[in-house]
Amino acid sequence: MMDLKGKKILVTGGAGFLGTHIIAALRARGVSEKNTIIPRLEECDLRKAEDCARAVQGMDVVIHLAAKVGGIGFNQEKPGELFYDNIMMGARLLEAARQAKVEKLVLLGTICAYPKFTRVPFREEELWNGYPEETNAPYGLAKKALLTAARAYRKQYGTNAIFLLPVNLYGPGDNFNPASSHVIPALIRKFAEAKQSGAPSVLAWGTGRATREFLYAGDAAEAVVRAAERYDKSEPVNIGAGREISIKNLAELIAKLMDYNGEIRWDATKPDGQPRRMLDTTRAEKEFGFKAKTDFEKGLKKTTEWYLANVQHAI
Amino acid sequence: MLALRDKKILVTGGTGFLGTHVVQALKDRGVPEKNIITPRHETHDLRDAVTCREVTKGIDIIIHLAGITGDGQFHREHPAEIFFDNLAMGAELMEAARQNGVQKFVTAGSITEYPERAPLPYREEDLWAGPVEELHEAYSVAKTMLLVQAQAYRAQYGFDAVHLLMTNMYGPGKEAVRGFVITNIIRRILEAKRDGSSSITLWGTGEPTRDFIFVKDAAEAFVLAAERYSRPEPVNIGSGWELSVKELAGTIAKLMDFHGEVKWDTTKPDGQSRRILDPGRAEREFGFRAKTALEDGLRETIAWQEEQFTSET
Repeated sequence: MMDLKGKKILVTGGAGFLGTHIIAALRARGVSEKNTIIPRLEECDLRKAEDCARAVQGMDVVIHLAAKVGGIGFNQEKPGELFYDNIMMGARLLEAARQAKVEKLVLLGTICAYPKFTRVPFREEELWNGYPEETNAPYGLAKKALLTAARAYRKQYGTNAIFLLPVNLYGPGDNFNPASSHVIPALIRKFAEAKQSGAPSVLAWGTGRATREFLYAGDAAEAVVRAAERYDKSEPVNIGAGREISIKNLAELIAKLMDYNGEIRWDATKPDGQPRRMLDTTRAEKEFGFKAKTDFEKGLKKTTEWYLANVQHAI
Repeated sequence: MLALRDKKILVTGGTGFLGTHVVQALKDRGVPEKNIITPRHETHDLRDAVTCREVTKGIDIIIHLAGITGDGQFHREHPAEIFFDNLAMGAELMEAARQNGVQKFVTAGSITEYPERAPLPYREEDLWAGPVEELHEAYSVAKTMLLVQAQAYRAQYGFDAVHLLMTNMYGPGKEAVRGFVITNIIRRILEAKRDGSSSITLWGTGEPTRDFIFVKDAAEAFVLAAERYSRPEPVNIGSGWELSVKELAGTIAKLMDFHGEVKWDTTKPDGQSRRILDPGRAEREFGFRAKTALEDGLRETIAWQEEQFTSET
């Protein structure tokens, strides 16, 4: 096991949603503030070799979270950027980390890398058995290619790069921008706004029949940190909560938690995305003892409270 | 159809095995030599974004053939370089091409992009049906990413990039890969003749089957695709024939007038047992059909190898 205390740790995307939770988890491990380095977007473009080389200089551990992401709408509009930015950031950073002899590199993939029709729960072995759901394929595949890259670097150079596949995350600090937010923040915002305006109904995307799994960002952060400490193999590892919920039930649950009593209508002309999503999480538990511990309702409650306190009231 | 004659065409890997023939095919279409640009890796590192922006400036069409590959041992020992170099070259070049308003971008993919257990003959619909052979994972995934990028760029920017999946090629010229099966058989026979030995020994059982395409036919496919194909789906470029390595060795021995014995060293690995492309889509979409008969292609290849061999020894 690697003791992270005393290590210099680069967390790309460290100012983002998951990043903030990871920084907190590192701090709880005793990693000092000066040893957790977050490259700032304005001064560090990870798609560029020089910037990656500068960013990894003197680092012991690199946790690569930076990603260009969005919801279904964004994915449909910007597949080219999603592909290029995500694959080049990852590939350049890996190459730079190899050259700088970084001890450990944690790459984050995405559940979007799984084939559209994967048996539920998704097992890591199924990763290559089909094409991903079309709307997020360029993003999912760009990330999945980094798994191949990590394996190749381990084989040729012995680079200790690992690859984790987190499921959809939620929690305080999530992105609530309606142009790019995922389903939970999108619904929270819609209900909050409907309550404020007294709207009798809320229109949600899709049929509501698709299922998803959601992991509390604080739990995901713990998984990433544990993997950085304890996991050194080339096989990818799912990071999830092992719990599936339909979007319809999710919407009803959030409405209940937010005390919204209007109607929820479904805009079936909008895409559902992948029909079902849930990860098999046994490998993470077996390999590095990770199990999600946050209760879903409690996590949602914290998220809605955070939104009301930090976003809505700030507008 | 895109008329190539007045276009400025960048052929990366244009001095390589396939590239040389692609350049020739372009000249045969009436493209003047000065309009065909073939950057060399000694002077142009295409993994670099700035270099890519420079070489794509003022270019109308790109045929991207540059890549690194090698025999089985090379793939075992250099997967990271194979991944990074192939990916970075393709991704940066396509991004630069898009920024510079290039009209058409044709990328060379490979039969190794198919899943190890895809149904035979390989059809484009099955490209994603499972994991690729582990030995070629880095190469295959890096190449397939150029297909993904082409499709994503078409969707977002309307950028006209197409991806061809090439089967094994043979023909006159120096191949990037040592140990290609046809070259290997020809050279074993040339050595046997020189040494007066009455037999040659080849690796494996000779049972695996492959399809091979004559490199000049492959070059024609690239030019046709540049002219006539503008869709997101990848296209197989193969001959449609299937031959065992044993049959192939027999044909080559006959053409070379070698009457010695062909022995098989079965302690050596065979590789995948069958690997064949279905070439139907290329014919339907842009009228491509490999036209060189195997024996004709082999004769030309043997003649070239004999000349090389004589000049080496």
